[in-house]
Amino acid sequence: MVLVLLGVSVLTFFIAHVVPGDPVLVALGEHAREEQIVAYRRAYGLDRPVPVQYAVYMSRLTRGDLGISIRTRRPVADDLQEFLPATIELSSAAWLVALLLGIPAGILSAVFKDRTFDHLSRLGALIGASFPVFWLGLLLLGAFYYRLRWLPGPGRLDVVISPPQLRTGLLLVDAVLAGDWEALRNALRHLVLPALTLGLFSTAVIARMTRSAMLEVLYQDYIRTARAKGLREWRVVALHALKNAMIPTLTIIGISFGSLLSGAVLTETIFAWPGLGRYATASAISLDFPAVMGVTLVVAVVYTQVNLVVDLIYARLDPRVRYE
Amino acid sequence: MRKLMPVLLLLASLLTSPAIGPGLAAPAANTLVYVADISDMISLDPAVAYEFSGILVAQNVYDTLVAFEGENLTTLKPRLAQSWTIRDTGSAWNVTFKLRPGVKFSTGRPVTAEAVAFSIDRVIGLNKSPAFLFKDVAGLKEGDTRAIDSTTVEVTLPKTASPQAFLSVMSFTVGAVVDPDEAKAHESGGDRGEAWLRNHSAGTGPYMLERWDTESRAVLVANPNYWGTKPKIARVVIQHVPESSTQKFMVESGDADIAANITPEQARDMARKGNVKVQKGKLLQLVYIGMNAKHPPLDKAKVREAIRSSIDYDGIVRSLLRGEARKVQTIVPEGLFGFNASAPFQANVAKAKALLREAGVPRGFAVDMLVPTGPAPGGVKWSDIAAKVQSDLSKAGIKVTIKETAQAQLLNIYRAQKGQMVMILWGPDFPDPDGNATPFSDYGAKSIAWRNAYEDAAAAKLAKQAALEPDSAKRRVLYKQLTDRILHQGPYVILYQPTTRFALRKSVAGFVWNPMAFAEFRTVSK
Repeated sequence: MVLVLLGVSVLTFFIAHVVPGDPVLVALGEHAREEQIVAYRRAYGLDRPVPVQYAVYMSRLTRGDLGISIRTRRPVADDLQEFLPATIELSSAAWLVALLLGIPAGILSAVFKDRTFDHLSRLGALIGASFPVFWLGLLLLGAFYYRLRWLPGPGRLDVVISPPQLRTGLLLVDAVLAGDWEALRNALRHLVLPALTLGLFSTAVIARMTRSAMLEVLYQDYIRTARAKGLREWRVVALHALKNAMIPTLTIIGISFGSLLSGAVLTETIFAWPGLGRYATASAISLDFPAVMGVTLVVAVVYTQVNLVVDLIYARLDPRVRYE
Repeated sequence: MRKLMPVLLLLASLLTSPAIGPGLAAPAANTLVYVADISDMISLDPAVAYEFSGILVAQNVYDTLVAFEGENLTTLKPRLAQSWTIRDTGSAWNVTFKLRPGVKFSTGRPVTAEAVAFSIDRVIGLNKSPAFLFKDVAGLKEGDTRAIDSTTVEVTLPKTASPQAFLSVMSFTVGAVVDPDEAKAHESGGDRGEAWLRNHSAGTGPYMLERWDTESRAVLVANPNYWGTKPKIARVVIQHVPESSTQKFMVESGDADIAANITPEQARDMARKGNVKVQKGKLLQLVYIGMNAKHPPLDKAKVREAIRSSIDYDGIVRSLLRGEARKVQTIVPEGLFGFNASAPFQANVAKAKALLREAGVPRGFAVDMLVPTGPAPGGVKWSDIAAKVQSDLSKAGIKVTIKETAQAQLLNIYRAQKGQMVMILWGPDFPDPDGNATPFSDYGAKSIAWRNAYEDAAAAKLAKQAALEPDSAKRRVLYKQLTDRILHQGPYVILYQPTTRFALRKSVAGFVWNPMAFAEFRTVSK
């Protein structure tokens, strides 16, 4: 994992510096005086050669210092601490939606192959995978918030509610820890629409993958044997077939979490969700190297961890897989 | 699965039913919800804040010595200073302020002349983005502001600085008076309290900062120690909502009282609804094209005049911007002293071609134009304005290649004098005509004129003279001379001055947008 992170850091750092443009100018604005720009560059060490800057960055990184964001003028670590929990909450919720909707849809699609449900489900998956996230978000917001008034508007919490005592940054967890049930309920309600918006694409992908994996498995000999033994159909499907079908599906599930983490910027914009997506985008546009590096490293870490967990689950599921 | 279903149904109903619990709470009568894109909020310390959102908050929690109220940017009103005098000592200007007695900070401590001196010196000492307003525009150093007694402040300006410009700088966020004891109590590593004042307030304004959650919301509450009339609304929540469609939903459904970033199309739609109204806001920005006066054939004054004569300004304002802007062709915007309403240019292909012939380029020429990405002021895309300009110029035989460039890169190229034509906007840093005149006219100021390689000693001299002229009538004449000169000789095509628009609930009253990009919530009621 360390090698992966090292590679990511080198690539990101040098790509960010190859892009033409001056982050200091963007940070200080059009009116900035020359002496201020020079002072700013010196303060951030931006006037030194790129390899030196990289060495300085890496040496600070080993001490846990992610540097100072050129745009927000705060330590990148502070920025990440502020925005990462919101993204984790949203991505996890979207992921849950994708799993709870996608896997059953895929299973049922495979079991009822070529019947009505299968056709509808496959059409749904096609639409879900092609629907622009931005439009879906506005559609859901317009329908469920504006017209029907069933769900609240943007943000993580209603304006009138004070956030619970901050401990993890995850509103749901903090609300439970503080025993603040009103905040918990409110936060959950605010999570519904953005999670649906963000999760639809992954739902479609997971449904399709589950369906094709199940279909492959359902025609295997051992399934015929199980049926011949007189086992009830749902046991055959749920216990024997599903377990084997999950192996290729798990890979997709792991990858989809990574894409949810980093791809939430449009959802975050519509629902005013203070997450990493918008932070990453703003940093990229303003060439804020420390922030871009910080976000990339964090996402890389989370991503590799999730895939590690997926690999471990493989070992449990598939007795043929052995790790040293 | 069978056991799970009822649980899932229960969960679904709990989440969507509005009947249980507080449901969708519309803001109470004593809370004003203002939704806007506040992603540019970096710091709420008045010595550091130089972004629109930071200025909006700072102008409500701090007071300056003098102020421009509402939309009037020509008459200075007393705030923390009851009166002021300007004296010419021969070698310098002495500006003396008499402070209003009995004013307290939100902390309860009294406002003194020492606090004013501390606040001004603090800006200079911290040397952040807005520091140049005191250091360069007013020529101040630390120590030039002195407390004569507890209610009298004296500021010594060099003769090269304009007292009028200084006074208008003092009306801006950077002139905010900060509680020195509070700043010192939270000092860390010689930062004069900057790290703490980033997200806490210590001012005399009608509101205090209760909290600021980055990219989420800033909450202001009424200051119990405020010296003036209590604000009508006790609590203001400035909520971060980056998408204008979402802002529109919120105002229409009553969850927000004021939306700051709606597009002209949305405004037209909302004007027809019964529970919301649309209000315009003046801005001091100018959208212009800069022409590099050293890049042939733009180095010929007649070629520049030909370009100015080719563009369909009325079409841009009428069709592209649908009236969300005013046609302005001179360098001082409407609303400031010295505005010149002269707008002689409108698409005249014959005239343009004749000028090109006289300049020796009868067959036209090719040129690159840098254009920013994204939306331009007035609710239209930069690329749309660029396309219109390109089409207008092609009629005169000038072939424009549009180069959409990200801001970071565009500023880089422009500031290095490497642009050929650059489409961009400018807003003054302080509400004095010199905030535009000097940058546009004086090559030595290393600002806009410099970026366009425009060296005009006569214009620079006029700008300096006008900045320092104490007599209003004479000053007006000087600005007329300067703006007329730049109108025909300068390297600029001034396209328009945009307006902004707000959507408000019908019951909201007293909201006035100050063109220096903020509003005072103390006058708002609902």
